[in-house]
Amino acid sequence: MFEFSAFSLYDAAFLAIGGVTILGALGVVLFRNIIYSALSLVFTMLGVAAIYFQLNAGFLGAIQILVYAGAISVLIIFAVMLLMNKEARRTNLPTTRTKAWFAGGTITVMMLASIIAAVGFSEWPKTALQGVDNSVGMLAELMLGDYVIAFEAAAILLLVAVIGAIILAKGVENK
Amino acid sequence: MNGQGLIKGLGITLKHFFQKEITEQYPDVMPELATRFRGCLQFEFEKCIACGICVNSCPNNVLSFETEKSENSKKKKLLSYTIDFQYCMFCNLCVEGCPKDCLHFDHDFELSTFSRDDIKRVYLRPAEMDEEKEADAAPVQDEQESKEQKQIDAMLKALQKNPQKILAKMLEQEEDIGILSELMQSNEKTAGKIAELLVKDKEKAAKVAAGFVTKEKKNRLQAEKGGEE
Amino acid sequence: MEHLFTNLATALTGWMITLGLSPVWADVILLLVKWIIIITIITLNIIILIWLERKVSAFFQERLGPNRLGPFGIFQTIADAIKLLTKEDIVPSAADKLIFKTAPMFFIVVAVMLYTVIPMGQGMEVINLNIGLLFFISMGSLSTIALLMAGWGSDNKWSLMGAVRSVAQMISYEIPLAFSLLGVVMISGSLNLQDIVAAQDNIWFVILQPIAFLTYFIAATAELNRGPFDMPEAEQELTGGAYTEYTGMRWALFFLAEYTNLVAVSALMATVFLGGWQGPWLPSWLWIIIKTYGVILVFFWVKWTFPRIRMDHLMSFSWKVLVPVSLGNILLTGAGIYFCQWMGWC
Ligand code: SF4
Ligand code: SF4
Repeated sequence: MFEFSAFSLYDAAFLAIGGVTILGALGVVLFRNIIYSALSLVFTMLGVAAIYFQLNAGFLGAIQILVYAGAISVLIIFAVMLLMNKEARRTNLPTTRTKAWFAGGTITVMMLASIIAAVGFSEWPKTALQGVDNSVGMLAELMLGDYVIAFEAAAILLLVAVIGAIILAKGVENK
Repeated sequence: MNGQGLIKGLGITLKHFFQKEITEQYPDVMPELATRFRGCLQFEFEKCIACGICVNSCPNNVLSFETEKSENSKKKKLLSYTIDFQYCMFCNLCVEGCPKDCLHFDHDFELSTFSRDDIKRVYLRPAEMDEEKEADAAPVQDEQESKEQKQIDAMLKALQKNPQKILAKMLEQEEDIGILSELMQSNEKTAGKIAELLVKDKEKAAKVAAGFVTKEKKNRLQAEKGGEE
Repeated sequence: MEHLFTNLATALTGWMITLGLSPVWADVILLLVKWIIIITIITLNIIILIWLERKVSAFFQERLGPNRLGPFGIFQTIADAIKLLTKEDIVPSAADKLIFKTAPMFFIVVAVMLYTVIPMGQGMEVINLNIGLLFFISMGSLSTIALLMAGWGSDNKWSLMGAVRSVAQMISYEIPLAFSLLGVVMISGSLNLQDIVAAQDNIWFVILQPIAFLTYFIAATAELNRGPFDMPEAEQELTGGAYTEYTGMRWALFFLAEYTNLVAVSALMATVFLGGWQGPWLPSWLWIIIKTYGVILVFFWVKWTFPRIRMDHLMSFSWKVLVPVSLGNILLTGAGIYFCQWMGWC
């Protein structure tokens, strides 16, 4: 019947992963319970990480899981739990304002158009890409070599943001 | 230095790890109990004088007894003694209070029972204590033969056990009582007769007993004389 | 003996190829077989482990421990497992059913995933991942979500409080955990666990990285929610934390996952700091088992020695002591490596 080859197996895996990712993303938007939305976000993140793994970018995938699925989504869930004061089942209802619908739709269409354009107009190499064995080392050299200024600037930016958040939360003492 | 305590703690637990276990393997091996261990409260019916000190001293109303006052004797007659164990807290107050030492704790601590009623212990008056008392009561005429026979048997036993007490009711002098009891020990027929009469007719019994005594006295005198000659 | 399992795997693949399967499918099936073996080993191992913990804790307290069923009570856990299987499965009516039911599954799946990268012997691992160590840490971080799901789904304040505690604790201790492993990565120059084992050919990393070893041990205890850092479950204050509402097999899954995590973390500790499967005379897979069990016994020892510490102390210990210490260790290691290179030793 079917002639399974390495290629088709790879494709099947991709389809499964992509399906989970898209379903998760849809769940984020469509669930009426915001906790469900937050948990679907975790699945989306895991799906993206799995795609990274499939593309031989294991380091990126692991970081995706560690940072986004493991930490950021937990923070989101925490924030949601702390701010929730209504009945859980009606916390993430679709908006009733037409303006919001319009704005959201416009942004979605624009994003989709740009992605399709980017995919369509790019020139893709004809040969299959070879996975790099030591991707971590190469990443390290790039980040702490060529792009060290940008890397450190981002780090300082985040630090400033954290300090700002603490000041906002605690308030400045008036003398 | 910080953290020294942690290492010390680890050392202590390690030491205990290799020490011998102190678990008592209870159902398999009985634990060794101290001599004054308070297990189950025991009551000795014969010694009790029904004074009620134990009942008064118990804080939990564990103890109770029933008595009966007979006309013949001043003493209260103890009918039953109840220990309702479910309330006992083993404080030992009853044991300390009892003037006759009839209460004591033994080493049996397996007190659990399947139903609440089982834990209540009722000591009924033992039959052998009743025999002497029943001698006081007039026999009921329409009682069956067999019952009478039983009473006679019981009386016989009581006579054998404690002749002085019973015979004192019939004979005045102590000397006579001694003689009769000796006679009864040597001669079963005499004992049987007296027992039967005691159950059936007391006055006759007293007369017969007196007769027996005089006869015996005579016999003894003759024997003494014969011995001298 | 040494190549017992690797030879078996090769034989299996060869046999499948002779049956007419394409090599790719043979690989996939081999992967599945490896998973099944790992899950079986985990389940059987947990039975021994629970018995062992009860016995060891008993010995620490001069008790006898389980001793009724079988010699030394070895069958006690099996009886417990049967009991748990036959117990009623209660789902609280106010619970968020979907989340409540998926949480234990998620937890155990994440726990089993940890075994993907651990080298169980020479050439014995499910996948030889380049970034094995990172994969392990990131997978470990996912268990917070499972606990959060359990706590939220139960709709019980103890559960939620336990979940919040454990998430706060696990996120805080993930940082020193990862940082302490960085020192080892710097010396060995790889995130691949097999490479890290190979780098300990001459000297174990516990000697080169004693500070990292200690930090890892403390952080791992907190990550595992084990005593003295078991605030999230704290039976006395939280009646079992996130597991409060779980009964029967669902609860058992959490229990299973906790022990699975314990074995995984201990195995990683043995791999990264104690030379992994390397050792004389015995086959490599036996060595990793011995070392893992040694680490587990130390975990038991610590748990049954120290009392539970307070939540705020726990958090400030992580952020104010462990993080700086592990950062300092990284600095020290870097300086050491440079010094070493400068002297021409390595
Ligand atoms: S031991 Fe104390 S409680 Fe028990 S029967 Fe005696 S007086 Fe009452
Ligand atoms: S104190 Fe002793 S003698 Fe008096 S009634 Fe109680 S048990 Fe009997």
